[in-house]
Amino acid sequence: MQASRARLFKEYKEVQREKVADPDIQLVCDDTNIFKWTALIKGPSETPFEGGIFQLAFAVPEQYPLQPPQVRFLTKIFHPNVHFKTGEICLDILKNAWSPAWTLQSVCRAIIALMAHPEPDSPLNCDSG
Amino acid sequence: MQNHDGVQVDGEVESAASVATPEFDEWANFGDQDIMQQHSAIRAEEAEKIPFLGDKAILKSLDFEPLSSLASEYQSGSAILLEKIKVLGEQYAAIRRTRGDGNCFFRSFMFSYLEHILESQDQSEVDRIKANVEQCRKTLQSLGYADFTFEDFFALFLEQLDSVLQGNEESISHDELIRRSRDQSVSDYVVMFFRFVTSGEIRKRSEFFEPFIFGLTNATVEQFCKSSVEPMGEESDHVHITALSDALGVPIRVVYLDRSSCDNGGVSVNHHDFVPAGSEAPKASEGSEKVTPFITLLYRPGHYDLLYPK
Repeated sequence: MQASRARLFKEYKEVQREKVADPDIQLVCDDTNIFKWTALIKGPSETPFEGGIFQLAFAVPEQYPLQPPQVRFLTKIFHPNVHFKTGEICLDILKNAWSPAWTLQSVCRAIIALMAHPEPDSPLNCDSG
Repeated sequence: MQNHDGVQVDGEVESAASVATPEFDEWANFGDQDIMQQHSAIRAEEAEKIPFLGDKAILKSLDFEPLSSLASEYQSGSAILLEKIKVLGEQYAAIRRTRGDGNCFFRSFMFSYLEHILESQDQSEVDRIKANVEQCRKTLQSLGYADFTFEDFFALFLEQLDSVLQGNEESISHDELIRRSRDQSVSDYVVMFFRFVTSGEIRKRSEFFEPFIFGLTNATVEQFCKSSVEPMGEESDHVHITALSDALGVPIRVVYLDRSSCDNGGVSVNHHDFVPAGSEAPKASEGSEKVTPFITLLYRPGHYDLLYPK
């Protein structure tokens, strides 16, 4: 618990510092709960998502960073690896390929990459793609 | 990756999709998160059966009866294995089991190394490994890892290292070392420290490791580290062992208990010493290397435990 809080605080500081470097991602921590974050990400260019802004919700577990954050789309998105109703995302790094080397910021980057390059082998939305 | 065949999603837009709190009345609502929760429940159940690290069990050398704890697992198993266990019993006094959670190699290494320092109080070895740990830190930095992603894990290992040295305020007993090795918040952090070190070493010397990795999977070095070294619970192979041994400069002996037999019909138990690159170099002119590892692991296909020589 203490360890996860300390780590999240470091990430918070890092996010403040990186804000300018990564204009496609706006990661915001809940005012009262450091385990709740939201992110606004820009749809990648040359994809159907270009021009869109997508909102993500992060729920960070107490065992973070040994366990991955739970992330889902709050904005409706039609994508093969995202559950259309729940916004749940099928991405290996959010499941069994997670490691503490990832950060909330780099997870956002991975999700943007997933939007640009869907993985048809692990569909959550079989009608899409 | 999971395939979500059971998930049927309507093509039409449905506005009444308020599923903030998923319920399990339908498979359609049984998402990855639930699967992961189920996994961790199963893990927790398993955890109650075997601690991260077991007690030391005595390997008694007996005439005909199978060797106590180890042999009982193989009572109806192959004769070669039973024969080998008997041979093991002549050379090794005890076994300490670790939980088969995919981290057994790293966990065995952690305990064995810290136990060795606790018993030997070898200050020069501690100084030596600290210098290597510092080198590993630089390696990760030069590979582009942000400090805050790994520094907590490094700090926790160094803390354990200092506390097994006696004579300071943080000093701990052998019992406390066992307790910490069973405490997830310490044990898993140290395991993760080793995973970072291993990954850094492999990526730093990617040309050297590439052919070995290519033999295991057809992933690139970077993919291999991301998918098979850094995530907790991913099992270790000779690539991991070589990299960790090299990075920290700690030799490791692995004793193989499998069903292979010798050509001449006699039964012997093979072992392989992982000797860190460089440590045998100074005495190369004197012939065979003189390094005897103080860490001995018993490998049975898919799992590592600790062995205690007589």
